[in-house]
Amino acid sequence: MTDQLAALTTIFTEFYYWVTVVLMFLIHVGFCMYEVGASRYKHHQHTLMKNTMLIPLVTVTWFLFGWWIYWAFPTGPGLAPSIMNESTALITDDSAFSATWYTATSELMAVNLGDHISGVFWAAFLLFSWTAASIVSGAIIERITTFAFGILAIAIGSVFWTIDAAWGWHFDGWMLKLLGYHDAYASGVIHAIAGGFALGVLVVLGPRIGKFSSSGEPRNIGPRNPWLVTIGLFLIYTGFWGFYAACNIPIFDLGPEYGMEGISYWTATNIYVTPTTLSGITFNFLMSLSGGLLAGYWIAKGDPFWTYSSGLAGIICASAGNDLYHPIQAMIIGMIGVVISYKLHYWVERKFKIDDAVGAVAVHGYAGFIGLVICGFVLNGYPSSGYSVGAMWDGTTYASINPLGQFLGAIIMFGVLGMLPGYVIAKVLHGMGKLRIPREVEIAGLDYEMMEDAKSDEKAVSSATR
Amino acid sequence: MATVTNWIDHLNKPAEEVAGAVYPGAGSSEGILVILAIILWVGWHILTAKSESDELERLARKRYGANDHKSNITDW
Repeated sequence: MTDQLAALTTIFTEFYYWVTVVLMFLIHVGFCMYEVGASRYKHHQHTLMKNTMLIPLVTVTWFLFGWWIYWAFPTGPGLAPSIMNESTALITDDSAFSATWYTATSELMAVNLGDHISGVFWAAFLLFSWTAASIVSGAIIERITTFAFGILAIAIGSVFWTIDAAWGWHFDGWMLKLLGYHDAYASGVIHAIAGGFALGVLVVLGPRIGKFSSSGEPRNIGPRNPWLVTIGLFLIYTGFWGFYAACNIPIFDLGPEYGMEGISYWTATNIYVTPTTLSGITFNFLMSLSGGLLAGYWIAKGDPFWTYSSGLAGIICASAGNDLYHPIQAMIIGMIGVVISYKLHYWVERKFKIDDAVGAVAVHGYAGFIGLVICGFVLNGYPSSGYSVGAMWDGTTYASINPLGQFLGAIIMFGVLGMLPGYVIAKVLHGMGKLRIPREVEIAGLDYEMMEDAKSDEKAVSSATR
Repeated sequence: MATVTNWIDHLNKPAEEVAGAVYPGAGSSEGILVILAIILWVGWHILTAKSESDELERLARKRYGANDHKSNITDW
């Protein structure tokens, strides 16, 4: 930092991301509360531990290889050349944003007076990783082993979501160039992939005992603690707001970045380094939340669990284009996403006997998928990048946003990188006999012995005379 | 409907144009969007009010007692 402006910009940006990380921590607190509230009393403590332990499992693997994948894979590899070195190979050369700086042995992955940003940026993405794993966690409660969930959490949190982020959530990503993919606040790169992954696991895992009658009719196993669910979802909303902030570069001079002689244009940008404003995304965040709540309250006839979840689904559906939408567009898109997701959830449950305990596949997967598709129509013709506007399938330039590209992107996120790996890994775990807890334990409750111990402890204490 | 089709071209425009709105349909669709929002807003009130009235009437017809809810509490 050789001058005051550079110092101010660097330290502001460092602090900005640091604050977003703290805010995003609330997402995980919210998910823990929400899952415990949705589970039955006899499974509470194991449910909580399962979701808590993904924190260290994903964090350590994110440090070892997850962050490296994000910087190495934007080219595919082999699908479109990088704008930094014009090669389609993994980006591991000495260019500015190469993965070579983000190996676990790199000096930049530690306290380094020459780098004030890598750690907080790493942490911001790590929090997204926890969220991806946590979305899966909710769908599969009360019958998966913690071991199997740990493997699945690492797979979605430190491998598959970071590949999709490199492909479609990176200024150099091949999906922007070939497809014109646009997903500013992660309808697809976090939500559709995690929802799809959860669905793949659920197909193999099967429903909770008692979820379906002998004739195949689904029974409702609703939340046992609506207050925990309520507070949990409010915390997720709050953390999601921090996530929106974390998806931006807060201040950046686009003139020199775009190679424009003598032009200086300071602005906030989205992750693709195209202009937006924190003001604009605040409008859109709250209007899409409102659209989701309005539609959810109506379609679920005032059911609190679905109404709160629909607020989240509304934001998720509008997130792909919330950097550019008008607030009323964001609200309407949120409403559409909620209605379709809600109907799809019950159709899939009935038709395929899928037991998604918290509606995570619907709220994140379906809403994310629909949001990507709608974005292709509403933002049709906008550039997917500021660098060089070109045609679809060209590869050396960036295609404009379009419906086909967004639809293909949605399939890649939900199906190719989400549902397929989730299904395959769950199959392997099932084949090893490690996926599901024993039937007897599921019926008695994962916490049965803990509750018995607590009861005998309390008896001993209450009968004590001194 | 795209307001911007190339960011470099857009940022090269006069400063007062660069500083304008960039959402889809800027300058031509705001009125329609507001009318749509009002229709949805009023429609939502009509639909949910009817739904709530039907639900309350159905519950009232069943004449539950003040203590009946206690048999619905699950704690497992």
